[in-house]
Amino acid sequence: MNHPSASRIFFKTIAARAYPRVVASFRNRTWLVTETLLPLVGTIAMIYVYRGLHAPARYLGFVVLGGVMLAFWQNVIWAMATQFFWDRGAGNLELFAMAPTSLAAILLGMAFGGAYVSLTRAVTVLVVASILFGVGYSAAGLLPALGVFVLTISALYCLGMLLASLFLFYQREAWQLADAMQEPIYFLSGFYFPVRSLGAVVGGIGSLIPLTLGLDAIRQLVLPGTPQFIPVRWEILAVVVQIAVYAILSQVSLRYLERRAREDARLILRST
Amino acid sequence: MSAAIAQWRGFKAATRLGWQISSNWTRPLLFVIYSVLRPLSAAFILVVMYRVISGGAPGTAAYLAFLVSGVAFWSFVQYGFSGLSNGISEDRGEYKMLKYVYTSPAHFYVYLLGRGLAQLGSALASAIIVLVVATIALRLPIDPLHVNYPLLLVGSFLALLAVIGMAMAFGLLLLQAIDSHGYGELGAGVLYVISGAIFPITVLPGALAAIGSLLPLAYWMEIIRRSLLGANAIRMFPALSDADVLLRLLVTTTATLLLAHLVFTWADRLARQKGLIDRESNW
Repeated sequence: MNHPSASRIFFKTIAARAYPRVVASFRNRTWLVTETLLPLVGTIAMIYVYRGLHAPARYLGFVVLGGVMLAFWQNVIWAMATQFFWDRGAGNLELFAMAPTSLAAILLGMAFGGAYVSLTRAVTVLVVASILFGVGYSAAGLLPALGVFVLTISALYCLGMLLASLFLFYQREAWQLADAMQEPIYFLSGFYFPVRSLGAVVGGIGSLIPLTLGLDAIRQLVLPGTPQFIPVRWEILAVVVQIAVYAILSQVSLRYLERRAREDARLILRST
Repeated sequence: MSAAIAQWRGFKAATRLGWQISSNWTRPLLFVIYSVLRPLSAAFILVVMYRVISGGAPGTAAYLAFLVSGVAFWSFVQYGFSGLSNGISEDRGEYKMLKYVYTSPAHFYVYLLGRGLAQLGSALASAIIVLVVATIALRLPIDPLHVNYPLLLVGSFLALLAVIGMAMAFGLLLLQAIDSHGYGELGAGVLYVISGAIFPITVLPGALAAIGSLLPLAYWMEIIRRSLLGANAIRMFPALSDADVLLRLLVTTTATLLLAHLVFTWADRLARQKGLIDRESNW
């Protein structure tokens, strides 16, 4: 009997894990509503704050682009970082561990599927909020901004894979931990204001999250007049480095924590 | 055992259960970090947004106080509304105990009131932390010796009744869905936009502003600011006296509770007819 090669299994696993996410993005209508409206409502609230302050129009653009990235961050937290926690609760994690494949391939599948789902939600936020509030963007910067966006999302999902392995060690408090990674990250990443406003120290700490530099670079490219945190080329370089660093760290961390989880019997621990 | 004692026992058990679900199953340090970081970050997002626009000009403390007081007390709606409405679905789907609550001697309202009260305990801690930290760090014009506590307490009591009433009705409506994850937060998010928590409702388009002025939350926000800040408060309803605002809060709260009761009763009957109380859901 011919066995499929390891690389074939790896890529088939990625496709198999991404598939339910893509299908569920249309089939699960209740999630379609929340995943789209939650970032949209948050974005609209912050737009009205700026309107109340009579802020220049480009600030509305800051908020809209922040809302777009927020859709991805929520997906990374709730559908990447905490996913093994949910899978363990549902009894899937032990099946993943027994399957003749790697958890890394499963995480990559989740990342591809999750990025696709978030993209559909983010585009809705971008289009609806931009039309509703008359936000315009610089056409010349759109293509480079798209490139920065792809890099940023790649780095973000690598960070998500790292977080997913760390979350293997949390029980029910995983929920609170994921909750605690919302507003503090919105603040540190400058979702609703220019990153430069945070200053060098706080902005520097926030830059550990790929969204911070990626979002700032995108704003500089499509919203002329954005206060510069650091030059765009340095931000792009930093995001590329983050892709490599988080990808390597996630694999190292996953191998170590998977071994620890097997030793401590945490792969089959019901925590919900 | 008298009926009143049975209800009191049910209320106590529900409050204890609500508190344990929201806090006792996590590590204390993580819970404290979570309880402090989230509301403080939400407040400081608004502070930075304001500073970016105002440029740190003199005389900005009043508007900062407007933002901070709104976001601090919003935790009551965040915890009370989304926590309680999600809690009903969690009791059914995750803990599979909603049917036992229905069959217990305590009235379902009493149980939900207790469950909601536990959420409000977390919200109180969150609001105090945000107010204390922001008042000190931003030198806000809030003097604890000059706060109008009776107005604040009466206003907050009425508003929280309305919040719990809305959350109960919304939570029962959510039983119609197999998977209602995130809908509690979505409901709270919509209220956040139309309640005047972080900007005056006059900024909203006419229809949304009108809806906001029919809800008790806008009047509660006004009372919070007037009682905390006195003459320094930026007013959303400058033509109204304190008594007028309180009266409007009372009227809108009464109307909200009546409407919530009707929706609750209808959704409850529908859930029983369809057999949704012990439905398997996505957990």
